[in-house]
Amino acid sequence: MKDEESRDDVEVSDVIPLDLRRHDEVVAEFNSATPSRTWYHYLLIAASIVFAAVSVGFVGTILWNSLPEWAHHTGTLLGGNGWQSPTGPFGGLAMIVGTLETSLIALAVAVVIGLGTSISIVFFIPRRFRNIVATLVELLAAVPSIVYGLWGFLVLAPWMLNTVNPWLNKWPFASILFGNPGQEFGTSLLLASIVLAVMILPTFVAISREVISVVPQDLIEASLSLGATRWQVIREVVLPTARIGLFGATFLALARATGETVAVALVAGGVANTQFHLLYPGTSIAAWIATEFGEAQGNEIAALMALGVLLMLLNFGLSLISRALVNRQRRVLAVV
Amino acid sequence: MSDIVELEQPKEIGHEMREEIRRISDRHRARRQLRSRVMVTLCAIALAITAVPLLLLLYQLFRRGLPVILHASFFTQLPQTPTLVTPNATGGVSNAILGSLVLTAYATIMAVPVGVLVGVYLAESDSKLASLLRIISQTMAGAPSILMGLFAFSFVVRALHVGFSAIAGSFALAVLMLPVIVISSEIAVRGVPNTLREAGLALGAKPHKVSLRIVLPSAVTGIVTGIILAVSRAIGETAPVLLTIGGGYINAWKPLDPVSALPLSIYENAKSEWPSLRTQVWGIALVLVVFVFVLSLSARMWASRKQQAR
Amino acid sequence: MDQEFMSQVKMEAVEVSKAPDRGAAAMQLKDVAVSFHGRTAVRDCTFDISKNRVTSLIGPSGSGKTTLLRALNRLHDLTPGAKVSGQILLEGTDIYRGNITVTELRTRVGMVFQRPNPFPTMSIYENAVSGLRFNGVKKKSILDEAAESSLRSAALWDSVESRLKVAASNLSGGEQQRLCIARALAMDPEVLLMDEPTSALDPIATLKIEELMTTLKQRVTVIIVTHNMQQAARISDDCAFLLMGEDRAGELIEFDTTEKIFNNPIDPRTLDYTLGRFG
Repeated sequence: MKDEESRDDVEVSDVIPLDLRRHDEVVAEFNSATPSRTWYHYLLIAASIVFAAVSVGFVGTILWNSLPEWAHHTGTLLGGNGWQSPTGPFGGLAMIVGTLETSLIALAVAVVIGLGTSISIVFFIPRRFRNIVATLVELLAAVPSIVYGLWGFLVLAPWMLNTVNPWLNKWPFASILFGNPGQEFGTSLLLASIVLAVMILPTFVAISREVISVVPQDLIEASLSLGATRWQVIREVVLPTARIGLFGATFLALARATGETVAVALVAGGVANTQFHLLYPGTSIAAWIATEFGEAQGNEIAALMALGVLLMLLNFGLSLISRALVNRQRRVLAVV
Repeated sequence: MSDIVELEQPKEIGHEMREEIRRISDRHRARRQLRSRVMVTLCAIALAITAVPLLLLLYQLFRRGLPVILHASFFTQLPQTPTLVTPNATGGVSNAILGSLVLTAYATIMAVPVGVLVGVYLAESDSKLASLLRIISQTMAGAPSILMGLFAFSFVVRALHVGFSAIAGSFALAVLMLPVIVISSEIAVRGVPNTLREAGLALGAKPHKVSLRIVLPSAVTGIVTGIILAVSRAIGETAPVLLTIGGGYINAWKPLDPVSALPLSIYENAKSEWPSLRTQVWGIALVLVVFVFVLSLSARMWASRKQQAR
Repeated sequence: MDQEFMSQVKMEAVEVSKAPDRGAAAMQLKDVAVSFHGRTAVRDCTFDISKNRVTSLIGPSGSGKTTLLRALNRLHDLTPGAKVSGQILLEGTDIYRGNITVTELRTRVGMVFQRPNPFPTMSIYENAVSGLRFNGVKKKSILDEAAESSLRSAALWDSVESRLKVAASNLSGGEQQRLCIARALAMDPEVLLMDEPTSALDPIATLKIEELMTTLKQRVTVIIVTHNMQQAARISDDCAFLLMGEDRAGELIEFDTTEKIFNNPIDPRTLDYTLGRFG
């Protein structure tokens, strides 16, 4: 009829294409095991395949390139001292020791100070400032590592050389841990540990702050109502409740520390000599790859790739553990 | 009902025990309160210790870098090598600026389409493939960036015989950015309220149209935020480009040409024997940091403004 | 509202407060007011809480009952911008300005919260004795005896005796709340504050806890906030009725025995509330 035909208003079907099939057809489709595949679905799958391929390629390429070295020199790679470029033998022990030493020291420092920092942020800073502080921490976590490396090399290293090292060597048993390299080096494993600690601190604080702040308020009030002091509430209720997530934050910070490349390359001293004295120069796995790669050929590249595999295993392992812990933590709080 | 509890007479704590409890707790109280105050102070000190090195760093950055970047030539000139006669003739870093821009642009073009699509897929699918991809993306997001450099070197520089080039560096950066974009896109799409989706379906629209026309537009803010953050990370990374771009001292930008980059310039010149070059490096670092801060803050503001508008 | 039901409520009220005349005061409130950043939340609270009786704070939501309750163990100290004026006396000592530290106050005035909140990382036993541990009591014999005593007082001992080391989260909601009551009782407080303790529980668990309160008052003085009028009529000896005024601040309208409040209140607003005309 005429009136019905002259419509000015917009039909829904103009905006969204309607599914105008019969009802039983629609139900059949929804109930069927294989819903109709549209181009959209194929596009998503295609992208996922590309992503999977890239990831597999990522792991596979490095692994493949390192196989020659693994096939013949596994022992040297893992336990050998000294890196003779360009022919070998390529000993990775110095890098492994250096990575572990600097990362673990940095982690210890970062966790202790970081925990105190996040506790302060969550409990002692007035609510109005909390957002600003959170933003600041986020920004600091985003500073590129080369900038930390630069600062460490140009500012901290001279200070270490002139002030800290001589002071450290005054203590009676210092040389057991620190060694006694004299007035030669400002760059050292100790400096690398310090710079790493400064770098992973914002990361650790960001995560631990999050984990601590979601501990339910009424647990805190309940413990206060029993006569606990502020510190007792933190130490005996909040931290244990957040414990698993805090471990997750620790592993994540450690993962980050082990992967730092250029900062360590600039401040550790770049010497592939296996020793643990902190005031001597050293290197880490990632830093060594970065330093040596420029002029590497053939076998040496394979050896560097092998170091890359070690780094990958270490990092992925820590990452997986961290994630498992954070997920466990979420489940703990869900039960409360 | 039968399981209404039978109440016994509450067994009293003996009087002496009550007294003893009171004595013990009174005795401990002062010590506990002192310990609490001490520990609280230590935590506050920890906060200060965290702030100090970072403030020192920022201070040095501005103090040494600001004078450098105040000259236009810093941005427009190519680098020069100082000589004994002209020890301060460092030129500028136009090659590195151009290189960084170009690398980021190519990397973004490569990473964004795939990353966003995968993120959407992860948000909308419950399949085993989706769970696997999620684990992969989270693991890769934390991987050391030098590994991306190794990958790009093997694949683009060598296997594809392209050599050191912008495209190789971009590939490395794209692999770096990809997981970050995947994760943030998934979060953005998951953040769209289900009611929106249901409303579209209730109107009779097909599921994939609902995704495209209703869900995705709502998620755009979160997706863009994720891209901005990924970009800000990529600009500052040294290791992936160190192994792939080759460096250079001309204003190169073509994909197959070797290019320079800001972080690379810093790395190359930090150990220079020329004090003027070591000073210039602070200017480059300042530019990097300012860029990263601006991007991060914009991402945050963009995200929260759209939150309010909703 | 149903006439028959109301008369039943009134009869129950008479039953409960047939108790002898009020004795000494456990706590005394004089012109107590609480404000947040200058905005008054509750004011004009003047009444005495008598020992070994259950006093309920009733009124519609927003009338400041919980705010007032939390002032009694100084929980508002946690809230920046909170100010408590007036005088609150515990056995004659001003809890804000007198010779008593806040930690000591909280061992004498315990609290049970709306949602059961046992410490998730602790076992049942550890939860029960957590207060004692906080206060420095470490001797196992004392802790064991306190655990048994408080769990018996909370009518929980029989069901948990065999599994004391099990995590507290394994208990049902009602059991968890009784654990929280035991936890507070282990401190042997003089006063027990309860903030709507049964509102998150099912009817059977609610009933069990209500029965508990009739025996509890032999040990402690109970002050309970409840938005459930019938519950107040069932279990309390005295009632304080609060209402939000036009300035959006709660105020005390009337305080008297439960029997009087429900049968013969002085203020017409109290009558309106108990007749269910609002709230």
